[in-house]
Amino acid sequence: MKMKNGSLMTGAGLAEAVGEILRRKGIQAAVNELMKREVALGLRKPTLAVYDHAFHFIGGAQKYGLTMISALKDLFDITILANRDIGYGKFREWYDLDLSSIPVKVIPLPYFDERKAVNLDPALVSRDIENPFHRISRESGRYDVFVNNSMNEMVFPLACVSVLICHFPERRPRSYFYADQYTRVVCNSRYTAEWIGKKWGFAPHRLLYPPVDMEAGGIDVPKKKIILSATRFEPEGFKRQREMIGAFLKLCRQRPEAVGGWKFILAGGSQPGNPYLAGLKDMIAGEAGGCVELKVNVTAAELKSLYREAALFWHMCGVKREDPGETEHFGMTTVEAMQNAVVPLVYDGGGLPEIVDHGVNGFLVGSTAELLERTLALIGDPAKTEALGRAAWKKSRLFSRSNFETTARSIFGEVLNLLVSPETSIPG
Amino acid sequence: MNELEAEIRYLKEELDRKKEEISDLRKLLGREIDREFAPPVEELSDKELADYLRDTIPLINGFVETKPDIRAITSHRKTLGRPVVFLKRALLKTTFTQLNASLDLQNRFNRDQSRFNRQVAALFRTLHVRDGRRAERLKALEEKVAGYEEDLALLRNKLEGLNAAARLRGGSADEPPR
Repeated sequence: MKMKNGSLMTGAGLAEAVGEILRRKGIQAAVNELMKREVALGLRKPTLAVYDHAFHFIGGAQKYGLTMISALKDLFDITILANRDIGYGKFREWYDLDLSSIPVKVIPLPYFDERKAVNLDPALVSRDIENPFHRISRESGRYDVFVNNSMNEMVFPLACVSVLICHFPERRPRSYFYADQYTRVVCNSRYTAEWIGKKWGFAPHRLLYPPVDMEAGGIDVPKKKIILSATRFEPEGFKRQREMIGAFLKLCRQRPEAVGGWKFILAGGSQPGNPYLAGLKDMIAGEAGGCVELKVNVTAAELKSLYREAALFWHMCGVKREDPGETEHFGMTTVEAMQNAVVPLVYDGGGLPEIVDHGVNGFLVGSTAELLERTLALIGDPAKTEALGRAAWKKSRLFSRSNFETTARSIFGEVLNLLVSPETSIPG
Repeated sequence: MNELEAEIRYLKEELDRKKEEISDLRKLLGREIDREFAPPVEELSDKELADYLRDTIPLINGFVETKPDIRAITSHRKTLGRPVVFLKRALLKTTFTQLNASLDLQNRFNRDQSRFNRQVAALFRTLHVRDGRRAERLKALEEKVAGYEEDLALLRNKLEGLNAAARLRGGSADEPPR
């Protein structure tokens, strides 16, 4: 019996071939060769591990990784690798995903635990200390395919085939940089791809837009006079709620006849004792009429209801920022709004221009002044607003969960081919 | 289970056992995995530049003074030790005397260089702080400009509304055009 490349598949020949790999490429490559053959011969289902150092937090990147797992569970025997304990209930509560059939393996990282760090921030790791993520690297060598869904390029992949899901290249190559050691790099937007090129010096292999599923009840629901913003209240103010509230208050004061009856509602999550949020509350405290409302840590049902009722959506994350990391890398909430026929008026930067086609299904604006101009024009033209809302809904289909799952399966179909290909002997 | 399957299982168990004994990733892979990276300073963002200066300045502040010391020559041999040390020290003292003259020159240069490095580092820090203050002032000005732009946009919109209303009035049958 022979493999495609002609290598012997008899017991005696195998030992010799593996021995040769052991001498030339080390023990991990030899183990990988055996694992590859097990899969190629159909002796078992391929194994896949998905790692994220932040699975214990709710977040868009984590939803991305877990939805991917849900799409791939028929193709692989999957294990979730986490650093902190996390129950399946959270996955269901946060992302509406039933992953109870997938085992979760918790690998503690003593470096962070000893410091009682809530965030396992790779930026804290320098060359002066031993890489705490090497524990994950070692674990990666137990699976046929290793997927790193973290914003963490400090995990060296030992599996035969490895995939780095890059949500944004936060750091430039420095100590323990291994992003270029992965067999495949998948990114979440063209904006991220551009910055992978600029910061890391290579191009990702595939683009997989995040899954968005926020449809709350069709597009024929009558809209109310609501402008919605849905994004976290970051303590650093990255999401620019202060600028949006300032602009809307000015609009109410200077053009009350134009915006009579309109409300600006800002929904989003916040940690307790957030000084930025306190500042926003102070900003709107003295305003008569309550034309601005803050809705903090709303439930998924409340958020859906807001999307259903809102007519316009504002998102200015990135305006007046120089650091590319402080701009939206994709913009999931903009898609959520569009899925509910809410017309997006969003900042013309980051990943947002990939979602909104200017003048076709929303508007891309460069400043709060432009935001006000476009908003006033739409408020004065309900027919145009409705038409744009329908176009926005249509465009949002591109980013649906089913599209995500189809593309994910295509990408991992290629990964499977690589796994059984005789040419693939990674690492080595 | 066929012969091949049994062989794979046997070899895998053997290798897994050996793997468990190896803790160093480099040994698992049979090669070096870490590399040095020099950041492209001219491409760094303000935040990245601040981090870079924070990490780099302590490095260039360092200074090492090197000079050979014959006292470092010792021996553990009981009887032969003392004459051997004496001979070695005597021999090296002659060499060191000549070497010391050159090393004194080098050390003087190193001291000057280190002083210069510290001054450059201080200059960098000062420029960075001043740049930060300028950036703050620029940010405040940009916010003012953004406010004026908003006012302008609202006034323009109001004017358009008034013009439209005037046009409407001008075209009506009850009122003559103005």
